Amino acid sequence: MKAVLAFVLAAAVSASALAATDPRTVPTQLSPEWQAKTRAVFKQAIEIPTVHNRGEMPKMAKLLADQFRTAGIPDSDIHFMPYEALPGDNTEALIVRWRSPHATKKPMLILGHMDVVEAKREDWKYDPFVFREEGGYFYGRGTSDMKNGDVATTMAAVKLMSEGFKPDRDIIFFYSGDEETRGVGATLGASKWRNLTDAEFGLNADGGGASYDRNFRPLGFGISMAEKTFQTYFLTTHNPGGHSSRPRPDNAIYDLADVLEKLRAYRFQPMQNEITRGYFEERARQEGNSPLGQAMRRWLANPNDGAAADIVEASPVDVGLTRTRCVATMLKGGHADNALPQSATATVNCRIFPGVDPKTVQAQLQKLAGPKVEVTPDPEFIGVPTPASPPRADIINAVKAASLRFHGPDMHVFPVMSTGASDGSFFRAQGIPVYDVDGSWGISPDDERAHGLDERIPVRAMYDDVLHWEMIIKALAG
Amino acid sequence: MRHLLCAAALVVLASTAGAAGPQLTLAQRTATHAMFEHLVNTPTVIGRHNVPQMAQYLADQFKAAGFPAADIHVIPYHTGSATQGQDDTAALIVRWRAAGTPAAKPILLMGHMDVVEAKAEDWSVDPFKMIEKDGYYYGRGTIDMKDGITGITQAMINLKAAGFRPKRDIVVLFTGDEETNGIGAKNGAGEWLNLLGHPEYGLNADGGGGGFDVSGAPAGFSMQTAEKTYADYTFTVHNRGGHSSKPRKDNAIYSLAHALDKLEAYRFQPMMNETTRAYFEGRQKTEKGPLGDAMRRWLANPKDGEAADFIEASDSEVGLTRTRCVATRLFGGHANNALPQLAWARINCRIFPGIDPNAVKTELERIVNDPTVVITREDDNVASLASPLRPDVTGAYTRAVQTLHPGMPVFPEMSTGASDARPFRVAGIPVYGVNGAWVQVPTDFRAHGRDERIPIQSLYDNVVHWQLMLTDLAGK
Repeated sequence: MKAVLAFVLAAAVSASALAATDPRTVPTQLSPEWQAKTRAVFKQAIEIPTVHNRGEMPKMAKLLADQFRTAGIPDSDIHFMPYEALPGDNTEALIVRWRSPHATKKPMLILGHMDVVEAKREDWKYDPFVFREEGGYFYGRGTSDMKNGDVATTMAAVKLMSEGFKPDRDIIFFYSGDEETRGVGATLGASKWRNLTDAEFGLNADGGGASYDRNFRPLGFGISMAEKTFQTYFLTTHNPGGHSSRPRPDNAIYDLADVLEKLRAYRFQPMQNEITRGYFEERARQEGNSPLGQAMRRWLANPNDGAAADIVEASPVDVGLTRTRCVATMLKGGHADNALPQSATATVNCRIFPGVDPKTVQAQLQKLAGPKVEVTPDPEFIGVPTPASPPRADIINAVKAASLRFHGPDMHVFPVMSTGASDGSFFRAQGIPVYDVDGSWGISPDDERAHGLDERIPVRAMYDDVLHWEMIIKALAG
Repeated sequence: MRHLLCAAALVVLASTAGAAGPQLTLAQRTATHAMFEHLVNTPTVIGRHNVPQMAQYLADQFKAAGFPAADIHVIPYHTGSATQGQDDTAALIVRWRAAGTPAAKPILLMGHMDVVEAKAEDWSVDPFKMIEKDGYYYGRGTIDMKDGITGITQAMINLKAAGFRPKRDIVVLFTGDEETNGIGAKNGAGEWLNLLGHPEYGLNADGGGGGFDVSGAPAGFSMQTAEKTYADYTFTVHNRGGHSSKPRKDNAIYSLAHALDKLEAYRFQPMMNETTRAYFEGRQKTEKGPLGDAMRRWLANPKDGEAADFIEASDSEVGLTRTRCVATRLFGGHANNALPQLAWARINCRIFPGIDPNAVKTELERIVNDPTVVITREDDNVASLASPLRPDVTGAYTRAVQTLHPGMPVFPEMSTGASDARPFRVAGIPVYGVNGAWVQVPTDFRAHGRDERIPIQSLYDNVVHWQLMLTDLAGK
């Protein structure tokens, strides 16, 4: 899942907006030849509906593998790894090793995932699995989460190979097939398949990136180095039910609705760590003297200032970064229109602050919900808290150089904590630090549509991302 | 769907229990038993295509008893809907013409031949092989409502054999899909009305009936004269959604939950009609405690909402004082890790007779008072109407009941469910649920459930009951 870097419009409201250039109208630096190649692969990737249970992952893996093979990677270094994700979901991971002829360093790992979140035709304006270019955007499920990153990393490597570049360390490409559901691929990648994936560090294309506000002012380029723990809980109410013509005083649906009303208002304890402090220092600078900027400074000065943290959390840009958050994502209840419900279940998705035990969150939810409600963690995905990755100058400098080239000096690069749980967490948990450094960008918040409707990416952001990855690879393996 | 007497009526004081009235002859009992067994053993569940053969069997029985073939019609029709399933089913129409010029428009006798699904693995006996055990006949349809089909048919056969000559036409309509789509009843109240001779009123065997409590004390008989209108509504909330790691201020699930909390707390305006007034007048006579006091206060002052609320809150009377709407199904979201783009709840309403379901929609909108919660109807049902309490029908029913069960109290009843009667009532033909079968309450309330059964004597009493009713209403 995409660790979206969301940024302000708050500042945009203030003072005289500079007549900034619309970054979508700036020509890409990628040559027309490589634009055409990239577009062709991206179109095919978007049109393979790699939603769980649809059995489409082998096609997607083959598409990427074919690019590497054509560029000269031998079949012996291309590994298709079939596995079962959700029960019955037979999916696949792709592992490609680009060998260095004269390796001087431990390998580096480039991570991505090939699966996408479900998208329903009836919810979207256009078919989510038909690739479409309109108004300076590419549209389709996966255009920003994250077939863009799959294609950019693959095409960057292919382009470098075609130009004769020889890396000074092995580069391992690892594309999983169930990041959005279970993360079994990344779990295996970090353990059972470690002989194929072992590396000094990982660069994840499923996060990072720059953004602009609606007045086209640069908001920053975040490198995710820590992430919240992902844990879903089920809140279930039970009732004897009965005939709907004779409503009982208690009702499973109403009992659940009561809990959801409480959950809507509930806020967990605010928290900070090294990464989020770095992030909020940059954000406070951006926000200047606005009430939000002042709240950030107050909170940085006094981490116990809960009122300041609440103001920060209420900002659409910073939501999720000051504490654990839980939100209702799915509902299910009843069995017939004319029968009182015998049970009702809400799915509550939590993003838990690093260092907090998911069992503690479960206990807090149970206390909030009361004894009539059953609170259980999703057995399909038990979240494991992971350590933050230590800041590395080589990686930060590589990103800074790329950001400078595509976005100019006003785009600041700084650490962030991801609120999503990506494949990176499984590698971090197994001792491989991971940094989210993808180079695509968008207008905040209009282009933040990962998992949502009418997902899209600026055309230039897609093309520039190929060059971005080319620079990153050259800097860290050249 | 069978509407048995509510359990509340149990509190009637004991008087002489048991059946002491007129009895069938041995030959009549044997014929009744044979017909009942044949019907129960015919699994007329939707999708099994067995209703047409059951209709033909009954048609043959009428013919054999001397009813002219020209007045007996087996009418095949198709029933189906997205939710209830499909079948090629049939209706049976039999017209027993008056001797001479009819004294009045026909009396319609109604029933349905189909039954609710029953699975052998859920039952302790085979639901489609009638057996006799512990004084009961067991099998699917024994009380819903092959007892009533048998009662009407055998009563007509016996009366014909005895030389009874009706003074007005008696018209039978047995439908084949009451438990599912109700197409037969719609046709009956529509395109088949000519064939039915535009009856003055209907007597429905799928309603009424009575019981004795476990100690054998009479619990009362009910006559169904009104039913609430069944209507489904949906509350739908759409949202842009997004990534669940970044919760938005607005959330489709929370908006829906908030609307449901308002619905939970809301109570519609209390209402009374002729049927429910007569029902509560009967009920309060034996209800001595606070519930009886509330009934008496409400009857004295129909504006006493507090009294009505007290009654509505009781287990036995719930649904009888007003329109009720309740959430029955919930759905929302599309992925664990995405903010919901859609959430909906199904709201099932049982609307007081005479109230337009569109007016209820407007009222729901007012309760929820949130433009992001869109309220839609799921059907086009029109307001059901209460049938006026007719002295002739009420009198005949009471006399028949009390001939078989001296001292048995009789109540009018408003059903909270929906039956074949609705389209007729809507079309201006009043319908009365007046079956005469009795059971032990609540032990034998097994319609739609497992091990459905009827007391053996009840089956035979019901034939006598229909003979008494028809003699009374069509013989004068």
